[in-house]
Amino acid sequence: MKIIVAIKQVPERDARIRIDSGNKWIDLEDVEFSMNESDAYALEEALQLKEAHGGEVIVVSAGPERAGKTIREALAKGADRAIHLQSSDETELAAYDALGVARLLAASIQDEKADLVLTGLQSDDLGLGQTGVILAELLGLPHASLILKIEVAGNGLKVLRELEDGWFQHIELATPAVLTIQSGNTKLRYATLMGIKKAKTKEVRVIAVADLVASDPSLKPTAPSVVLDQVKLPHKQRSTQLLGGSPAEAAAALVEKLQFEVRVI
Amino acid sequence: MYVSTFLSLPSYGAFLVSPIVPADPGTFSIIEKVLLAVLIMLSVVLFWLRFGVVLDKILKSRRDPSFRLTHLGKRAWDFFSEVICQSKVIRQRPLPGLAHAFVFWAFLAFALVTTNHVATGFGLDLLGSRNRSGWVSIAFSDVYFGLAGLFAVACAISIAGLFVRRFFARPTWLARPDHELSYESGVIAGLIFALMATYLASLYVGSGPWAHGLWWAHTLCLLVFLPLVPHTKHLHLVLSPFTIFFSRGSFSAIPPLEGDEDFGLVAGKDLTQLVTLQAYSCVECGRCTEHCPANNTGKILNPKEVVLGLRSYLNDLGPASEEPLLGKYNSQEAVFECTTCGACEFQCPVGIEHLPIIVGLRRGATNTGAWEDDYGGKLFNALERNSNALGMSALERDKFVQKQELPIFDGSQEYCLWLGCMGGYDPRGREIISSFVEVMRHLGATFGVLRKEKCTGDPARRLGNDLVFQQLAEANLEALQQQKVKKIVSICPHCVRTIQEDWKEFGLPPEVEHHSEFLARHRAELPQSNSNEKVVFHDPCYLGRYRNVYDEPRSIASLAGSLVEAERSRERSFCCGAGGGLAFLGEEQGERVSHNRAQQLVATGATTIGAACPFCNTMFRDALAASGDNSPRLLDIAQIAANQIKAAQPAQVAASEN
Repeated sequence: MKIIVAIKQVPERDARIRIDSGNKWIDLEDVEFSMNESDAYALEEALQLKEAHGGEVIVVSAGPERAGKTIREALAKGADRAIHLQSSDETELAAYDALGVARLLAASIQDEKADLVLTGLQSDDLGLGQTGVILAELLGLPHASLILKIEVAGNGLKVLRELEDGWFQHIELATPAVLTIQSGNTKLRYATLMGIKKAKTKEVRVIAVADLVASDPSLKPTAPSVVLDQVKLPHKQRSTQLLGGSPAEAAAALVEKLQFEVRVI
Repeated sequence: MYVSTFLSLPSYGAFLVSPIVPADPGTFSIIEKVLLAVLIMLSVVLFWLRFGVVLDKILKSRRDPSFRLTHLGKRAWDFFSEVICQSKVIRQRPLPGLAHAFVFWAFLAFALVTTNHVATGFGLDLLGSRNRSGWVSIAFSDVYFGLAGLFAVACAISIAGLFVRRFFARPTWLARPDHELSYESGVIAGLIFALMATYLASLYVGSGPWAHGLWWAHTLCLLVFLPLVPHTKHLHLVLSPFTIFFSRGSFSAIPPLEGDEDFGLVAGKDLTQLVTLQAYSCVECGRCTEHCPANNTGKILNPKEVVLGLRSYLNDLGPASEEPLLGKYNSQEAVFECTTCGACEFQCPVGIEHLPIIVGLRRGATNTGAWEDDYGGKLFNALERNSNALGMSALERDKFVQKQELPIFDGSQEYCLWLGCMGGYDPRGREIISSFVEVMRHLGATFGVLRKEKCTGDPARRLGNDLVFQQLAEANLEALQQQKVKKIVSICPHCVRTIQEDWKEFGLPPEVEHHSEFLARHRAELPQSNSNEKVVFHDPCYLGRYRNVYDEPRSIASLAGSLVEAERSRERSFCCGAGGGLAFLGEEQGERVSHNRAQQLVATGATTIGAACPFCNTMFRDALAASGDNSPRLLDIAQIAANQIKAAQPAQVAASEN
């Protein structure tokens, strides 16, 4: 099975974030980057499918030169080769909305004729959750989102999809297909020294965004349908409640709050 | 010939009567001489048939790229102390150790006796035991043979004692995996006894057929003994002096990986000459097993079997094999049960360095992704993503630094206070930092913390993840260099060790010390309690065995009262169970090491347990909580010092609270 995984490099989750002077994005100086979390799970799913059924895993990432580090990480974990859709600087891709980026991605992977395209559910920085599904539309492939589990069934796939309120949906679909993957259902493997060394010899095809646009003028950024107007740091608020009663009562009250108010369990 | 004068010339005192010489066996016929030559050749050939194979395996193993034959003075001293004086053999097991030492010293004493003995068979008289002429022969026959006789008596008694111990007392650690007795050890013991007995008898009989017979008996024992040496664990006779001399030079010295194909000990081709030499040197005494905290609490890890597993691998497959080392010959599960406490390596009498082997096997498994462990993977991902072993957000450390008003290191302060993962993120570790900060402020020491600090990489290092370890070490070294840090002080022995020794692979770390060393220097300025509290101090492995620091933390622990010692203490201290990255792995097999150690500490009757490592601290806290409510108080030495300072200033505290 030939699997393409679209990954994005995003600011590290715990990065100390400052808003840049234009209030349009965060100040990228001093920020460390890592692989978008749900993309890491998408990659893990792809690697597990390859281990079980054979095939090839190709990662594709759109981003400036720094994204190369995340691509290497994916290769070190076991992807076979990579396509780096490289922007010349930090701003070039900012002119595109989700549709524009998906167009670029589609153009760069179209010739691969993959059996399966995986993306993370959404990015940790923008959180639009659209690139994957638009990509499916552009490639003309069936898709399903919020996927927790992928199984090969006959000529197609059987997938588990997360709905709200603890509901799940089982879907069967034919390949080729596009799936966007939800975090947390499997264990991520760790990068190894051997993987990193092997990754050095793996192919990374670098396609400059400008070159791609030059070859197909329809990929030029159009007026984006969604514009980022202003970025703000979240307002922190704290509320503390003391749960009284016997330990058993307090525990019961706590469980109820965690379950229904905070909704974390 | 001179035996007649044996009792008639008591000129050297009552016990050493001279001259004492072996009875003259008389002349040997040509046939006897030919037979002797043939037997000697046969014995040497049989010896070489096996020894040559072993030597070949050692020499054909990969060279140790990082090995340098430096520090000859230290090597010579270790050789003198551990080989000639048998210090390690004796220290850990005095009685059997002394018995072994007497056998060894007798062998040394017999070097000349044996040479002379064989020469006699060819009609030569090297030491003048037959014709006393010239001062050399007279000196030898007057003193040497008698002295050798004394050694022979000591050796015969010792080997008999060791025989009884092995075959009748049967300590468990001498057992082989299938609990078989080592019969060849019995044969060897018998031969050694016979060698001594025949020599001693030859001092008493007159020349004649008896002397001739004894000569042959002694010779035959010798010629049977020789080929048995390389075929049995008695190979240590030949190898261990080399093993000790060619040590890596420091405790738990983990060699750097070389080139793009080196991932640690993956297969036979990765075994270096030192490892192979060590594997063949093992004498199966089981001291490593006896002291192993994992083995003592029902885990499958047995350090002796790890070494013997490598030996079996080398015997079957040789040093060029591609077959994984973990599998049939050694268990991956066992290797990952090691807490890297180093008790095995510390007391091994034949110079085996267990930690480079065990960590090497882990490196081989982790660096290639062969080790699949949910907790391990989680830990590595946490170290990669969050740069701390607890997997918490770096913002949590910032909050703690702000709340405690810890100054940021800017080059103006003397010390960089290294928080570590436990000190920066763990509630209990933070308490230790707070106390230590109070003490430092009380003492007027200037310090600051780094704005950003990553894990030193200790758990990754010990679990064999060189990728993560290197990333962390390099990032930290760069941060420290940028801030021009000269001196680091840390509450965590693991951080101290990793910074000082393990980082060297990637750069020059600043000077670093453990807070016990800092506090001990200021001992005089800290108030002493006059309570009758009993304090037991638990030696952390990474402070004691790894750093040789035993007295400094005790001097601080004793501020709280009078010290008592646990049965296992100082260099024989028993691990808390957290080392080697195990604090972050899942539930242990068998009994928890921490519970076992906590019981040992409670058994001293102490009212306070002094700790000097945040990992020990957290392990014991859980263990004591599980054991019941009459537990002693558990305090880090920094907390002990801070409590004394507070107790000495009750008025001010009360005043400030009002």
